[in-house]
Amino acid sequence: MDLRTLIATIGFDERHVLPSLRLLPYDRLVLVGGRDSFRSAGFRRLRALEPDLEAVRVDAFDLGDCLESIETWIREARATGPVRISATGGTKILTMAALLAAFHEGVEAWYCDPDPVRLPVLRGVGLAQAFVPAERAVMQLLRGRTSLDRFLALVVGRGFARRTVFAAVRSLAAKGLIEQVLESGRTVLRPTPRFVLLRDHFRPEPGKA
Amino acid sequence: MTILFGTLGWRPQSLLPSIRSTEHLERVVFYHSDHAKSRDARSKVVEFCRSLGVPCTAIEVSDAYDLLQAAGQIRADVRKEKVAGAELRFNIAGGTRLMSSAALLVCILEGIPATYVHDETYREIPLPLLRMTYGEGLTPKQRDALAFLVKNREKRFSETALARALGVHKATMNHHLRKLEAVGAIERQSDPADGRRLIIVPAPGIELLLG
Repeated sequence: MDLRTLIATIGFDERHVLPSLRLLPYDRLVLVGGRDSFRSAGFRRLRALEPDLEAVRVDAFDLGDCLESIETWIREARATGPVRISATGGTKILTMAALLAAFHEGVEAWYCDPDPVRLPVLRGVGLAQAFVPAERAVMQLLRGRTSLDRFLALVVGRGFARRTVFAAVRSLAAKGLIEQVLESGRTVLRPTPRFVLLRDHFRPEPGKA
Repeated sequence: MTILFGTLGWRPQSLLPSIRSTEHLERVVFYHSDHAKSRDARSKVVEFCRSLGVPCTAIEVSDAYDLLQAAGQIRADVRKEKVAGAELRFNIAGGTRLMSSAALLVCILEGIPATYVHDETYREIPLPLLRMTYGEGLTPKQRDALAFLVKNREKRFSETALARALGVHKATMNHHLRKLEAVGAIERQSDPADGRRLIIVPAPGIELLLG
């Protein structure tokens, strides 16, 4: 049977989370918050209500950390059933990260404070769907700094036309994901920090053993 | 030239770093609530812009807690500027959580570079956003059905009535609606006037995704 997971952001006041728990049915509850949130009296009261809840500690002022943690938990939870995000509690950065993660992974996102508002996110339509196959291949294969010629040969070896790969490289550069620089007369490709943040979305699905 | 959009709460410091850091700043447009402290912050931002000689437009949002309404308003303004060919940036740090989220939603849908300003250090943090064009993920028939439902939101359509209205076979309509339901774009609800009948209702705010 599917296990419904609710991933909720939490701050110091558990009362911001309670409407989500009441309005969004779940079998498994994951709370994401900063270190101090999990030391608060509010969290202790919540733990008394929900002894099986799982607590995920993040740096609630570091967007990258929040985003990575929430996306990792979404991927893990999605394997067992539907996932919902409640972005009601916690710092604003945590809320932004939760919403971004919902968009990137294509899961339902809600605000319940106290009335429920569902954000218009299409279920199952994630970030990778916004890229054409050649762009996805480039995102999968680019690991670090590499010469353009060598990289083109690598992607062409996966069955793409050279011209298609060129177009994909240009398109990703326009999106700010990769950079083309001239080094000692050779064009070199290198991933940007944004690329590193988004790379996990392009991992190939596990195939048959 | 760049137009800086922003959401403003009680602290002008959440918007000022972006005004300072934006190159070739042509104009500042920001949204704030009707709260007295937010209006105070607005005055400070307006004064700051005036001292720099940058034109500034402050827009008071009628309900800073209505995410979908705020998103609709912001998106309409952003599109107007995009059509005029302006380069845009968005600072989503200030304002109510729902206003910021509305701005984030617009930035994702329109592909506008967005920044956040750290609450304590006032350092600008670029958000890793990429444009998501949901409309292109749906087939033309699915988009038509969804657009029709959004346009006629106040009317109640069963699956058969919808098929008739759009001139497609009801089996075809069933296929499209199942796809739309799977992605959460529509819901089937009991008709309040006739409990035996199921009506098709578009999800709240789905019109934002249609573009």
